[in-house]
Amino acid sequence: MISLSDSSLDAHGIHHEHPKNGIAVSITHVGLTYTTSIEKRPTLKKRLTSLGRGRKYTRVVKALNDVSLDVHYGTVLGVIGSNGAGKSSLMRVISGIVPPSQGRVEVYGSVSTLLALGVGFNPSLTGRANVYLGGLAAGMTRAQIDRQFDEIADFSELGDAIDVPMRTYSSGMFARLAFSVAATVKPDILIVDEALSTGDAKFKEKSLNRIKELRTDDRALILVSHAMATIADVCNEVVWLHKGAVMMRGEPTATIKAYQDFMQVRKSAASDEDV
Amino acid sequence: MNVYEPFRAGLPPMRAYLRSLWSRRAFISEFSRSQLREQNFGSVFGQLWLILNPLLLSGVYFLLIYIIGGSSDSSRFAHLTSSLFLFYLISNCLTGGVKSITAGGRLILNTAFPRIMLPLSAGVVALFRFIPTLAVIFVIRSIVGLTYSWQMLWAIPILAIALLLGFGLAILISCINVYFRDITSFLPYMVRTLLYLSPVLYEAKTLPERFQKLEAANPIYHLLDSWSQVMVYAQAPSLSSMLQALAWALGILIFGSYFFLARERDFAVRL
Ligand SMILES: Nc1ncnc2c1ncn2[C@@H]1O[C@H](COP(=O)(O)OP(=O)(O)OP(=O)(O)O)[C@@H](O)[C@H]1O
Ligand SMILES: [Mg+2]
Repeated sequence: MISLSDSSLDAHGIHHEHPKNGIAVSITHVGLTYTTSIEKRPTLKKRLTSLGRGRKYTRVVKALNDVSLDVHYGTVLGVIGSNGAGKSSLMRVISGIVPPSQGRVEVYGSVSTLLALGVGFNPSLTGRANVYLGGLAAGMTRAQIDRQFDEIADFSELGDAIDVPMRTYSSGMFARLAFSVAATVKPDILIVDEALSTGDAKFKEKSLNRIKELRTDDRALILVSHAMATIADVCNEVVWLHKGAVMMRGEPTATIKAYQDFMQVRKSAASDEDV
Repeated sequence: MNVYEPFRAGLPPMRAYLRSLWSRRAFISEFSRSQLREQNFGSVFGQLWLILNPLLLSGVYFLLIYIIGGSSDSSRFAHLTSSLFLFYLISNCLTGGVKSITAGGRLILNTAFPRIMLPLSAGVVALFRFIPTLAVIFVIRSIVGLTYSWQMLWAIPILAIALLLGFGLAILISCINVYFRDITSFLPYMVRTLLYLSPVLYEAKTLPERFQKLEAANPIYHLLDSWSQVMVYAQAPSLSSMLQALAWALGILIFGSYFFLARERDFAVRL
């Protein structure tokens, strides 16, 4: 859920200053290919029956295709695109979770990722245990998590539910915890994937305000969302991904409009929040 | 600055890898503890099962020895329980490790960390489950009236070798399972076969000569033989047994780690 790359933190865990307009992330000609077996699991029988005929029971998905993109400090970059466009995959590559299949990614600074599915990877554990495990896996020390835990719990407003197994959480409660973790860690580069749109109106507003607070010159924010109104509100640059490639990049309103025209959705209440 | 480039077969930069593994050691202990807690979560006896399990197991085998063996030979019973518990340490590493990568999908897809932490945690869980059984072994030894001696300190290096082997097996099998999921279904039979091929239900010295030669190919034969020598007869194990056990353990650990590390950056796109 969070991943703090060690390199940009010095021995005392203090963030270095980043100049405005310095490059935060540089992506050049990146491609990403997933290999999954069609039969869900590569079983012996399938292997045996396909041995002689040289047929492959794998599905190869090109999730990203020759993507080049620079993100500068001081920008809030919105990433939009239809389901399966490769948005989450791009975030995984930027945060070093998945190595790209082609190309090169350079990251200057510490990254915290919030890919909605990552928080609460073990649903039978409590929210508290998941926050600790996620933080430890991301390379934080127990003391660092101790120091921030109260703030996380407060911001998420989960109350007693923090000590309840996460399988009992509603999806909104999941998202609250996920967002609270990401927004509390205060990395140089903050990636928020989806978690903005699942909360209720009050929490949505609260998290939007937090995002605006985090919008400083020495930080880069990357927001993935289907909520166009939110993107238009907080971002100063938008990238539109389609089938793994960058279709357009530029000023928010123009890019969003092009995307909506392309998707042939009229401007309606639904399209503002959930395209 | 961090640079991410395409995955190439071969080891990652080892110093950076080990450093980031070391800095996350708290994750391993926290993760294994939460797994242990979860396994017995909601049961009436809870953590007590860690001691009840081996007790019940040795009770069942006591019946087996008593009824089928027709004798209540005290050293045989001590051999059986102590060997069985060490065998369970190894087999728990295998059964716990096999799914550690494929079950960690969500964590692997969303966090960057050295993947080897997951099978290592499975090994630590197996160790936690083994420790209470050690106490059971000593209680049984005392009850059946076996003698103690300083030679029993050999148990420490033997346990160290067993752990190396267990971690190696967990790492190896978790990686195999990413590419060949059938291994999960084969595993129970493999473990059973290994049990019958190993000196647990019988003693190594009762095997016919020609079998003893073949057993050099069994990674845990010499380990279990040395263990029984120490825990039952309170005598020093033979040097050649110890060396062969160590060679197997190191061989599997090194091979398994290489196999794993060379592929782990490929895991996330194969779940
Ligand atoms: N772990 C995976 N294994 C195999 N294929 C995957 C995996 N994750 C994503 N894909 C595939 O990669 C493509 C891009 O997926 P991705 O999750 O990046 O889309 P997305 O833009 O985040 O979509 P959404 O808006 O629904 O979140 C899809 O075709 C998807 O099927
Ligand atoms: Mg997504």
